[in-house]
Amino acid sequence: WRRPGAYCGLSWGRPERGRGVSRGQAGARATVKHWDEVTHKQLSAFGEYVAEILPKYVQQVQVSCFNELEICIHPDGIIPVLTFLKDHTNAQFKSLADLGAVDVPTRQNRFELVYNLLSLRFNTRIRVKTYADELTPVESAVSVHKAANWYEREIWDMFGVFFANHPDLRRILTDYGFEGHPFRKDFPLSGYIEVRYDDEVKRVVAEPVELAQEFRKFDLNSPWEAFPAFRQPPESPKLEAGDKKPEAK
Amino acid sequence: MKEEKTKHSTFEKLTRLKLLYSKILDALELIPANAAYRKYTEQITNERLNMVKEETDLQKLEDKLQAGQLEEVILQAENELLLARKMLTWKPWEPLVEEPPANQWKWPL
Repeated sequence: WRRPGAYCGLSWGRPERGRGVSRGQAGARATVKHWDEVTHKQLSAFGEYVAEILPKYVQQVQVSCFNELEICIHPDGIIPVLTFLKDHTNAQFKSLADLGAVDVPTRQNRFELVYNLLSLRFNTRIRVKTYADELTPVESAVSVHKAANWYEREIWDMFGVFFANHPDLRRILTDYGFEGHPFRKDFPLSGYIEVRYDDEVKRVVAEPVELAQEFRKFDLNSPWEAFPAFRQPPESPKLEAGDKKPEAK
Repeated sequence: MKEEKTKHSTFEKLTRLKLLYSKILDALELIPANAAYRKYTEQITNERLNMVKEETDLQKLEDKLQAGQLEEVILQAENELLLARKMLTWKPWEPLVEEPPANQWKWPL
């Protein structure tokens, strides 16, 4: 289900592998899981249900080929959507299994927050995704799920996403005076500072990092097309009003 | 056979459940009639309320409801009531607050 007008970059196809295995003998023990149409339909129906109840916040709903339901919402709707999924009788996603972030620097809102919920009553999982900026604060989910406490501290520490109304937002993994947000894509692998024990001053000193070998940048792009299923139509230059159409040679 | 060791009797629990469901329905009255949340929650609540009204035997009621034990059903009704009240402030049935920026949800890039 896609909201009309919303661009949907995800058109998950069905995996071709595993379909050659005959169901009779080896189907039940197949190495690769068979495509489960029933679960897929149930999840899409539930996704439509959620989108119908919360049209104010839900921007997109998608079900992956591995039968994972994802609800993409506006950041204002974090608390309403999470509370709805936790308290509503048909949802009851009482468990926050995971909360993480993804950094995609090319986007306007570079960070994508991912909430993974589990319903024990109905034995299903659901994923709620929002987006965030470096500077815009996002509402904390701690009032809904206590488990979000340390996860949000980790996201603040590693990415720099500020959570408003968090009871105790401080660093959790980096060193005490550490500057920078290590999981951002523009933060180098070896970092900026390294520490060593200096015998002259008899203490640990922090110095700019010195690598034995200079940084080598590899071009990891393969010459072949990576995702043939997700080809984009080539962009033709749009004509502004008043321009003449370029003459065809 | 459920032994009467609990501090509340079955009758008290059923009355509490009926009270909670009627409170939920009252809270839903304040939501506009065309809202999907109101429609679906009223449907669920009325179904459960009718089942509770008909069936007085505890075990049979739990089997009919298929929602775990009676105490769990009561907890769920309390949650639904809190949710209905919060929904009144949030008003999620309104149209989308803001469209995402172009390519926000595009994957793979």
